[in-house]
Amino acid sequence: MMKYISHEDLISPLESALIEMNIKSSEKLQNCMMEALTQEKSDSAREMFSEIIENYVIAQEECLPLCQDTGMVMAEVSMGIEVVLTGGTFQEALDEAIRRAYQKSYFRKSVLTDPLIGKNTGDNTPGIVFIQQTHGDELQVNLLVKGGGCDNISALKMMTPGIDPDEIKKFILQELDKNASRACPPLIIGVGIGGNAAYALYLASRALGRPLGTPNHCKEYRQWEEQWKNEINQLGIGPQGVGGRVTCLEVHIESYPTHIASLPVGMVCSCHVFRQKKLSW
Amino acid sequence: MIRMKPINEYILKTPLTIDDILILHSGDKVLLNGEVYCARDATHRRMIADIKAELELPFLLMNSTFYYAGPSPAPPGKIIGSVGPTTSSRMDQFLEYFLQRGLRATIGKGERSSEIKKLLEKYSSVYFITCGGAAAYLSSFVVRSDLLGYEDLGAQALIRLWVRDFPLLVAYDCYGGDLFESGKIHHRRINLIE
Repeated sequence: MMKYISHEDLISPLESALIEMNIKSSEKLQNCMMEALTQEKSDSAREMFSEIIENYVIAQEECLPLCQDTGMVMAEVSMGIEVVLTGGTFQEALDEAIRRAYQKSYFRKSVLTDPLIGKNTGDNTPGIVFIQQTHGDELQVNLLVKGGGCDNISALKMMTPGIDPDEIKKFILQELDKNASRACPPLIIGVGIGGNAAYALYLASRALGRPLGTPNHCKEYRQWEEQWKNEINQLGIGPQGVGGRVTCLEVHIESYPTHIASLPVGMVCSCHVFRQKKLSW
Repeated sequence: MIRMKPINEYILKTPLTIDDILILHSGDKVLLNGEVYCARDATHRRMIADIKAELELPFLLMNSTFYYAGPSPAPPGKIIGSVGPTTSSRMDQFLEYFLQRGLRATIGKGERSSEIKKLLEKYSSVYFITCGGAAAYLSSFVVRSDLLGYEDLGAQALIRLWVRDFPLLVAYDCYGGDLFESGKIHHRRINLIE
């Protein structure tokens, strides 16, 4: 049985989701920040967490975006082979949703038509879409909104196969030590291991897009996620880099089969305004 | 045992003077009052082009304060949209040009390149940070906003904000002090070099 989804049936939930995620942080994220505030001892770190928490209240009261950088929208889509989109492609639906949401809600338009020779597109389109096929008749969309600051510290390293996994951790710690203060910590960190160079970064992004509190289902990876998070927090970078105990809220790792000669490792981060939402049809 | 030094709090008013800068040390808290100028990278490029073309800027650079920020559009009836800081290191390349012409302080987020601290010493300037991603909260300290130029740049237009008790931390002072560095020294519990 085929499942038909009209263009408009896609657009309107996407639009509402984009508006909500830019204005309202999830309860889980808010609780993480309260918890972080209680862990910090220094005045500067406590000040930063207090402002982050106060921001949740004011954004919602005033209907203002949590961050002025309302980002470039990314959608990771898994589409059942029995799903038929009518009236337009997924990309067209997402772009229309972005156009409506960003115009209506007075969000900032931050997208250029071309990185070198372009001008502002004026409506924050296009979004970035990754589509994977699955069995069945379900359409799942994981939306991720990220600003430029945290995307700019993304990293890729082609490491040596057979190395101790601690070497991967070390690479991540070193990258964060150099750059984390510019990316609005506390961060959520996505790590992609395997595939090829391009796929490692995609995996990192997909890992990042997992909801808070959903560890990897493989035991080894789950342990690394926990251990790496703890060691990142021992770096002392703290909220906004002012020094503190909470630099990272969660590490999410995803892996994939890889070539015998390669060990690609990608890292992608989100700032503390973690804007993620899963929709399904 | 390393002890955290007590933090001083100051209420300051722009235009900041060299005397204001000299009292500040990294880690100090400042509530800033008066006008600051929103400028991102494209705004800087445009201002430099104008200065080179001998056009007058629509504000006085002497003792001015730049806020590295590109606000979201103001909804009807509001003074401004959300207005948090952007990453300062992108503006490092322009800093000396403006310090030479009287710029006194900058506000942004995140560490900057190592030369910046030397420039701040040389020109008696200071680098403040404010909380990135707390942009709706920070907009509540803005009492007035004027569009001064480069409207075609959208979020990167030159805007004058009038702020009241705008909450800042001194990140780099004019004596080489560095909040990011001292923060790490106090809080690091791990050795990166093995």
